[in-house]
Amino acid sequence: MRKSLLVLLVLAMMVSVFAYGCAPEPDPDPYDVDNGEPVDVDPDNQDLVIAIGAEPENLDPLKMMSAPAATIAEHMVENLIYLDVDGALQPALAESWEPAEDGMSWILQLREGVQFHDGTPFNAEAVKYNLDRFMGVDDPDNAAVFAFLLGEVSDVEVVDEYTVQINLNNIFAPIASHLSHSFIGMHSPASLEALDAGEFVEAPVGTGPFKYASWDRGNQIVMERNEDYWGDVPMLNSVTFKFVPEAGSRVIMLETGEAHAIMAVPPTDIDRLDAEADIDVVHQTSVRVIYMGFNLEREIFQDARVRQALNHAVDKDALINTIFSGVGEPSSAPIVPAIFGYTQTGPYEYDPDKARELLADAGYPDGFEMELFHPTGRYPQDATVTEAVQAMLQDVGIDASLTTYDWGTYLDTVIVPPDEAEHDIYMLGWGTVTLDADYGLYALFHSTQWPPRNNVSYYANDEVDALLDEARVTPDRDVREDLYRQAIEIIWDDAPWLFLYDEGQVNGERSNVKGLIHHPLENVSAWNAWIE
Amino acid sequence: MSEPVSTCRREELKRDTEFRQVLMHLRRNRGAMVGLIVLAVFLICAVFAPLLAPYDPTDSNLGRALEKPSAEHILGTDELGRDSFSRILFGSRISLAIGLISVSIGLVVGVPLGALSGFYGGKFDLFMQRLIDILIAFPGILLAIVVVTILGVGVENVMIAVGVASIPIYTRLVRGSVLSVKEEGYVAAARALGIGNTRIIIRHILPNCLGPIIVQSTFQIATAILWAAGLGFLGLGAQPPNPEWGAMLSKGREYIRVAHHLTTYPGLAILLMVLGFNLVGDGLRDALDPKFRKSR
Repeated sequence: MRKSLLVLLVLAMMVSVFAYGCAPEPDPDPYDVDNGEPVDVDPDNQDLVIAIGAEPENLDPLKMMSAPAATIAEHMVENLIYLDVDGALQPALAESWEPAEDGMSWILQLREGVQFHDGTPFNAEAVKYNLDRFMGVDDPDNAAVFAFLLGEVSDVEVVDEYTVQINLNNIFAPIASHLSHSFIGMHSPASLEALDAGEFVEAPVGTGPFKYASWDRGNQIVMERNEDYWGDVPMLNSVTFKFVPEAGSRVIMLETGEAHAIMAVPPTDIDRLDAEADIDVVHQTSVRVIYMGFNLEREIFQDARVRQALNHAVDKDALINTIFSGVGEPSSAPIVPAIFGYTQTGPYEYDPDKARELLADAGYPDGFEMELFHPTGRYPQDATVTEAVQAMLQDVGIDASLTTYDWGTYLDTVIVPPDEAEHDIYMLGWGTVTLDADYGLYALFHSTQWPPRNNVSYYANDEVDALLDEARVTPDRDVREDLYRQAIEIIWDDAPWLFLYDEGQVNGERSNVKGLIHHPLENVSAWNAWIE
Repeated sequence: MSEPVSTCRREELKRDTEFRQVLMHLRRNRGAMVGLIVLAVFLICAVFAPLLAPYDPTDSNLGRALEKPSAEHILGTDELGRDSFSRILFGSRISLAIGLISVSIGLVVGVPLGALSGFYGGKFDLFMQRLIDILIAFPGILLAIVVVTILGVGVENVMIAVGVASIPIYTRLVRGSVLSVKEEGYVAAARALGIGNTRIIIRHILPNCLGPIIVQSTFQIATAILWAAGLGFLGLGAQPPNPEWGAMLSKGREYIRVAHHLTTYPGLAILLMVLGFNLVGDGLRDALDPKFRKSR
C-alpha cells in the first residue's frame, strides 16, 4: 500500500516536472484561479452557454439600467474597482485609491500596460474621457441615467499617464463603491468617439477578459476570449448569454445541456433539479428588493392611507411560501438587511380588514379600479406574483387590470415623466449593488431622481431629500447610519411603494461547469470558469 | 275548405324535402351526432357555469396551490390555488363567445362583400378581390395578431381580430357560389320578370349559397376558437385573471413537470370543442350536399 503510494507520488512528480518543462511560457496550463491547482480541460469544448431571463436594454454606460445588462457588460468592460463576491472592493483597472487628507478628492493609481480590445492604450486620459461622458460634462442633456453615482464629483483631473485625481464638491463617502458599479465601465475612447450623435454602444470595446463577438437581438450575445487580457486569460473560448424569458424553458435547456447554467430556477423545480446527478442548484443571497411602486401623481394614490391599505392587503408571507417555496423574505425596509444603513421598519402586517378600513377612511369604501404594469421573465416568478397580488387586492375591493411587455419596452413604458405615464402602479426591483444605502435610497426616493432616472413613483418629500443629501456628504459612519434610519422610517410610513419582498437567488449549473461566480449582485460571471 | 289543406300539405312537403332530409342525414351520421352531443355539453357548461362551478374561477388560495386532482378539486388547482375545473367551465364561455361572435363579424362583413363582388363583377369585383388577395396572403393567425397589436389586448379585441381575419374567407366563398348561382335559369327568369338586383341577391341567390356558408361557419368557429387560444397562449388574448383556455395552457406550461393537470385539461377542452365543431361541420357538409345525399 505504502509502496504504491510512493510510486504514485514519484510518478506524479515526474509528470509535473515534465509538464512544467514542456509548457510554453506565455501559455501556462489552465489552473483554478481560486486555489492555483491545475485543472483538466478539453480546449475544444470550452464554449459556455448561460440562459438568463431578460435581454439587456442597452450596453452603453449612458443607458444601462438593469442587472442583465451589467452581467453581460462585465465580461467585456471592466471597472476601476471591482466589488467581489464577499462584498470587498478589489483593484481592477485602478490598483489603488486613496482620499486626500481633507476628503475632498481621491487619487487613483491605474494599472499599467493594459490595452482596450481595439489596441487603444488604457490610461488616465481614457478614464477621464469615460467619467466625463458618464457625468455629461460636455453634454449635460446626455448624462448617464445613473449619473447620480458620481453626483458629488466636480471634475476629473489627469495627474500623469497613470494617475487620476477625482475632485469632489463635498466629502462623498461612498465614492469607491460607486466606482465599482458595473455601469461605470471603461470603454475605449476611440470606440466611443466613433459613435454618431444619438447612437449608443452596441458592441462594447473594453479591457475585459472577453471580447464582443455578436448580438442577435431577442436571442443571444456571444463573447470570445481576449487572448491579450492583462489578468488571467480565461480558459473558456467563448461565453454566450441566451435570453429565455420562460423559466420552464430555461430549466429544460439546463437539463438537455443546451445551457450550462441558468439564472432564476423556478421554485417548483428546485427539488427535482437538486436530485439530478449532473445538475447543481446554487443558492445565493441577493441585494434586490421587489416592489410595486405607486404613481403618486394619480389622485387615488395621493392619500397615504390608500397606499398603506394596499400594503396591508398583500400577504407577503404567502407569496414567499407558495410561489417561492420559502426562498426570500418579506421586505422590512426599502433596502435589504445586508446593506449599510438598513433599519428594520416592517414588514407591513397582512390585515385585509385594516386595509378595507383604511380605504373606507380615505373615501374608497368600494375600492377602485387601476392599471397594474409588470414585467414577465425579468424577475423570478414576476407574472405569477402579479396575478397573486391582483387576487389579494380584489379581496379588498381593488380591481387591477394587468399589462405586461418585454423588458426593454417595459422600462421605456414605465420610466417616463408623469404626464406620459399610463400606469397607476408598476412592478420593479432594485438591487443596492454598492452595498450602501445611498444607492438604494437616493436613486429611488430623492426628488431630483424622477424619470428618466429611477424615482419612478414621483416621490418627493423635503425631509427625506434633506436627510439623504446630508447622509451623502457625512463622513462619520454612525451619523450616516442614523440619517438613513430616519429617512427609511419616513419612507416606510409614506409608503410610496407596495413593499413586497427581498429576493433570494436560485441558479442552476451543470456539474461539469466549474469556477462560475454567482454574485449577490445577481451577476453570473464566467471569467474564471471552465468546463470539465 | 280544400284549399288550406293543400297549402298545408305543400308546406309539409317542402319542409320534408329540405330541412327534414338534412336532419335525417345528419342523424344517420354517427360522427356528427357525437359532435353535437359534445357541443351540447359545452353549451350547457357555458350557460350554467355559475351554477355548475364548485368555486369562483378567480378566487385564489395560495395555501392550496398546485394540488393534484382530488375529491375537493376534481381537476386540481393552479399555481395560485384556483380551482381548475371551475376555470375550465368558465373558460368555455369565453371560447364559445369568441367563436360565435368573431364568426358573426366575419359573416356580416364578408358575405355581403362577396355577394356584391360576385354579382356585379367588373371593377368593383377586381378591386375587392385584390384587397382580399392581400388579406389572404397573411396566415389568419398572423392577421389576427396584427389586429390585436393595433387594437390592444383583451377578449373583445380578440373577437374583432379573429372576425377580421375570417372576412376574406367568407368573401371568397360567397363570391364563388354567387358566380355559379347567378348563371342559373331561375335568376334569369327573375330578372325577366323585372325583379330588382337587391331582391334577386337576397331572395334568390343567397338562399342558394346557404349550404356552403353554414358548413364554412361551423369550421370557422372551430378555427376561431383555436386562433383565440393561440392568441391567449401568446398573452394577447384574455387578460388575467380571466380563465381563457389558451392562457391557462401557457401559464401551466411552466409547471408541466410538477402539475401536468394544468396543461392537460385545458388542452383537452380545446381539443374536444374544436373536434365537436369539426364533426358537426363534416356531417352538415354531407347532409347539405344533394349529390352526396343521393349517392348514399
